[in-house]
Amino acid sequence: MVKIENLSVAFDGTEVVKNVNLELKDGEILGVVGESGSGKSVTALTLMGLVAETAEITSGRILFDNVVLREAGKPLDKALYRKYQGAEMSMVFQEPMTSLNPTQRVGRQVEEMLRLHTDFTKEEIRAKVLETFEAVGLRDIEKVYDSYPHQLSGGMRQRVMIAMAIILHPDLVVADEPTTALDVTIQNQIIELLREINTREQNAMLFITHDLNLARRICHRIAVMKDGRVVEQGKTEDIFQHPREVYTKNLIEAVPSRMKRRVSVMRKPMQGSVSGGGAEAATGAEMTAGAKNAGGTAADESLTSVLQVRNLSVFYQDGSNSLFAGKRRHCVVEGANFDIYRGESLGLVGESGCGKTSLSKAILGMNSDITGKVVHGSIRPQMIFQDPYSSLNPTKTIGWLLQEPLRAAGKLDKSLAMTKGDMEAAAFDMLHRVGMEDKYFHRKPSQLSGGQRQRISIGQALITRPGLIVADEPVSALDVTIQAQIMELMQKLQQEMGLSYLFISHDINVVYKMCDRIMVMKEGKIMEIGETEELFRHPAQEYTKQLLGAS
Amino acid sequence: MKYFIKKLITLIMTLFLVSVAAFLAFQIIPGDVVTSILGTEATPEREEQLREELGLNKPPVVRYFNWAGGVLRGDPGRSYRYSKNMNEMMPVAELIGDKLPVTLWLAAVALVLIILVSVPLGVLWARSASRSGRAAHFLDAALGVVTQTTMAIPSFFLGILVTYLFGILFKLFTPGGYISYQENFAGFLGYLLFPALSIALPKIAMTARFLRNSMLTELKSDYVRTAYSKGCTRRRVMYGHVLRNALMPVVTFLGMIIAEIVAGSIVIEQVFGLPGIGRLLISSINTRDFPVVEILILYITFVVIFVYFLVDILYRVIDPRISEK
Amino acid sequence: MKKTNGGKWNKYLVAGLLMTGLAVLLGIVGFFWTPYSTTAMSASEKFVGPSLYHLFGTDNFGRDIFSRVMQGLSTTIVIGSLVVLFSASIGILLGALTGYFGGILDEIVMRITDAVNGFPSILLALVLISILGNGKQNVILALGIVFVPSYVRIVRSEFIRLRDADYIKRARLMGVSRMRILFVHILPNIFSVFWVSVMIGFNNAILAESGMSYLGIGVQPPDASLGKMLSDAQGYLQTAPWYALAPGLTIVWVVLGFSLFSEGIRRSQYG
Repeated sequence: MVKIENLSVAFDGTEVVKNVNLELKDGEILGVVGESGSGKSVTALTLMGLVAETAEITSGRILFDNVVLREAGKPLDKALYRKYQGAEMSMVFQEPMTSLNPTQRVGRQVEEMLRLHTDFTKEEIRAKVLETFEAVGLRDIEKVYDSYPHQLSGGMRQRVMIAMAIILHPDLVVADEPTTALDVTIQNQIIELLREINTREQNAMLFITHDLNLARRICHRIAVMKDGRVVEQGKTEDIFQHPREVYTKNLIEAVPSRMKRRVSVMRKPMQGSVSGGGAEAATGAEMTAGAKNAGGTAADESLTSVLQVRNLSVFYQDGSNSLFAGKRRHCVVEGANFDIYRGESLGLVGESGCGKTSLSKAILGMNSDITGKVVHGSIRPQMIFQDPYSSLNPTKTIGWLLQEPLRAAGKLDKSLAMTKGDMEAAAFDMLHRVGMEDKYFHRKPSQLSGGQRQRISIGQALITRPGLIVADEPVSALDVTIQAQIMELMQKLQQEMGLSYLFISHDINVVYKMCDRIMVMKEGKIMEIGETEELFRHPAQEYTKQLLGAS
Repeated sequence: MKYFIKKLITLIMTLFLVSVAAFLAFQIIPGDVVTSILGTEATPEREEQLREELGLNKPPVVRYFNWAGGVLRGDPGRSYRYSKNMNEMMPVAELIGDKLPVTLWLAAVALVLIILVSVPLGVLWARSASRSGRAAHFLDAALGVVTQTTMAIPSFFLGILVTYLFGILFKLFTPGGYISYQENFAGFLGYLLFPALSIALPKIAMTARFLRNSMLTELKSDYVRTAYSKGCTRRRVMYGHVLRNALMPVVTFLGMIIAEIVAGSIVIEQVFGLPGIGRLLISSINTRDFPVVEILILYITFVVIFVYFLVDILYRVIDPRISEK
Repeated sequence: MKKTNGGKWNKYLVAGLLMTGLAVLLGIVGFFWTPYSTTAMSASEKFVGPSLYHLFGTDNFGRDIFSRVMQGLSTTIVIGSLVVLFSASIGILLGALTGYFGGILDEIVMRITDAVNGFPSILLALVLISILGNGKQNVILALGIVFVPSYVRIVRSEFIRLRDADYIKRARLMGVSRMRILFVHILPNIFSVFWVSVMIGFNNAILAESGMSYLGIGVQPPDASLGKMLSDAQGYLQTAPWYALAPGLTIVWVVLGFSLFSEGIRRSQYG
């Protein structure tokens, strides 16, 4: 029904989509999976006729129900596309907050679909919209109808977008990363909703994502894209069980998943490390023998704790107007109790707003409005941030950035002061340890890729040899293959330097791979702490089950 | 509602602070007021007598409240320079009374001109900036240069140019031939048109440019893409979605412009010989007629702060993101 | 020609540089030498139109306008630069401190800047002048004070924005001293925004100064000023329009040149 034949799209002479062949039949969900830069979004936008006017179709064509919508060499025919857009083909975008007009009520925005393509009366329009709202699982539909986008939750907004996309029963629905901006539990609901719509309407769906596992769940067929080309396509299970191309294999491998066996990273301190011979560089470590108790004190004395948190409550004041009373003090973390031991990775999971960031800030000493005790070793713990693009000062060179922590430490404690030569040597050493070459020493962050920046970020955090690192979503902003590399790096450095991580993430699979123990938080309280395997197989709490089972 | 009250209180407090500041500022002026009125020949007795008359012997706090009270009643003291007749000095209120409308009308005409011209101009400009094609690009760049140049012309020079062009060359009006609003209102407005134009032109350039940029920013938004995906035409997207969102920051911008209109009118009145409070202010400063200067500054400040207040409230009303919390 | 900051060379930059360069050159030369004496009056040469001998013609006293323009230009440029220097440095300091630390200082400064902000700068400067008295130094002081709030605003909002950037959070975590964070970590990231406002500030200073001298306030004779020339010239519009056009167009030339230059810089950095 939809045929993309040998399509190539170029911007300013550079091709970003190269000879792509894709086919979609009615009733089928085709997943297009690829990392950033793979050309998946451009392909979808070109199909929908939404790509920029400056884009050139250098080869191929797009057919919709045997009608040629776009052809190489010819410019975009807007009038032609307008007949199809909305009525026959529609799109659901990634960010529902910005994809909806912030100053119009959502009911009205969905109405626009009907006003553009039908001649229903006002009452008919309203009825149809309400009906569709129900069909996408919205509750309180009258209220939602009159709301503005910012008054709705992320999940509700996305449902509104989906309602807008299906209200005219189009033959094609394109979903571009529809769940990336949502919480895990909502993600699942939306995915299921899309599947339901596809089954009911028997339309064709194009599901674009970077998340292979997600695609696996609802797509009948999958096409893998890299650097503008379709590397491999076929039935979903075929791709997973018998991947033919190297890239596909890499992609599947790199994706952390609970389906794979877990290898513990933690090694026993104070004993000579006996690494499993021939173990793979990254995850090679001996399996820990005895179990530790969930949270609380260690049964085995040879474990030293690098962090002790006792009865910690964290408060946050909002309101900034000092002329009028109005400052309210919220308790964002309540009565937290746990330890982190030397050499271990403790995962911290929970939905947004549960207090994970506040907890980590309090541990690092960035928030002084707390009660309770936080005790850690003498070297200040450091942090690794989520966004590699904002964690490095853009006006400084890499070398400067790596040495600054040493300079700062030297000023604070004269005994730690180093000479210029020593600092430079240490910086070069760290540069190598994070897997980068000398030449990067004099470059600026803008010249590095996301993965490279994250490496430097890690280097900066580790150069003063802190015992504890708080990693706040350190790999969430990276492509899957880079993710795997960074996680490897973190584990390797952990072994070499005897580090402990407090690993915060919303991605259950990442946490599963990286952490020995996991802590689950909800609304400021720690619900459960325990060994990773235990928690996944026999969660004690209902909430834990929900959260971990969610993907 | 709570916000409104908060803002109102802030407004009043600010005004209070400004009035105190204005009052104090004129107390610390070097040079004795009395001497400058009477000259150096005056006898000490005469000086003392004047001091009593002017109430300069009372403590500052009392003087402030007397003055402030007077201001609120509409009688802010008397001028140091202008005499009404042989025995008394001109009350400031009278001095200002017939001049205020001139300035107000001048500002109003300028504002109307600005809004009427810059909005369509800005929209047109944004449309051509977002199109592809050589004609569109040319128009975009041309408008850019024209507005850039217009903004570089100081208002008084613009006034002179307008006088030269329309007054001397095209003889559309008589330079210096001011018509009082009491005589002939239509003529009054007609004469005001040219000074208002001199004030408005650079502001039109600025506002059109601002609107253009605002619209172009909005056009890059995701919701525009959504609108197109629904099958909207360009026109519908522009006028149905983008324009409204793009106009909101323009409202705030116009608020800022008002302050500049006020400043502009002071200078322009000089250029065109209009008997408004701008000219009065200049002459009062030159002659150090402090009560007049004080009150004019106060009123102008009041207007400016009040306008900001209004704009702020207005913005909250029209932006659903803020108003429906 | 060398490229600036590795950015692209574009039309605005070239035009702006040429225009500003010419003006600055004339201004600098005018400080030391002019083709004719700026005060020499010549009854026989009154109101001569622009010609080879007198590029801009002569005025009602027979003085060469071009020379007077050169002198006025140098005065204007000097005043403009000093004003910017004064207000920008205070602005950076206050902006950095209030933006980063907040607190009571911030509240006070913000109230003051809010109150002063909307107020037309010329007006404020006039008031200050009426208190301080006339003269070149007072003009610089008055305008300097008046323009401080706008710099504080911009610098402050930049510091507020960057205060919570990840890399600054990390600097705090590392234990870097606060002063160092302000001036070594944050400040360099503000340069481009700051630079633009400096250039806009320069233009505003020039416009304000000439406006004031047009009104007869501020720079006094024998110091030449383009604004004063304009006010003198107004009466002779019918007979000798070049008398007014010369200084006026010069002001436009300088301001426009600078605007184009800053636009050019902006485009070469951000494309």
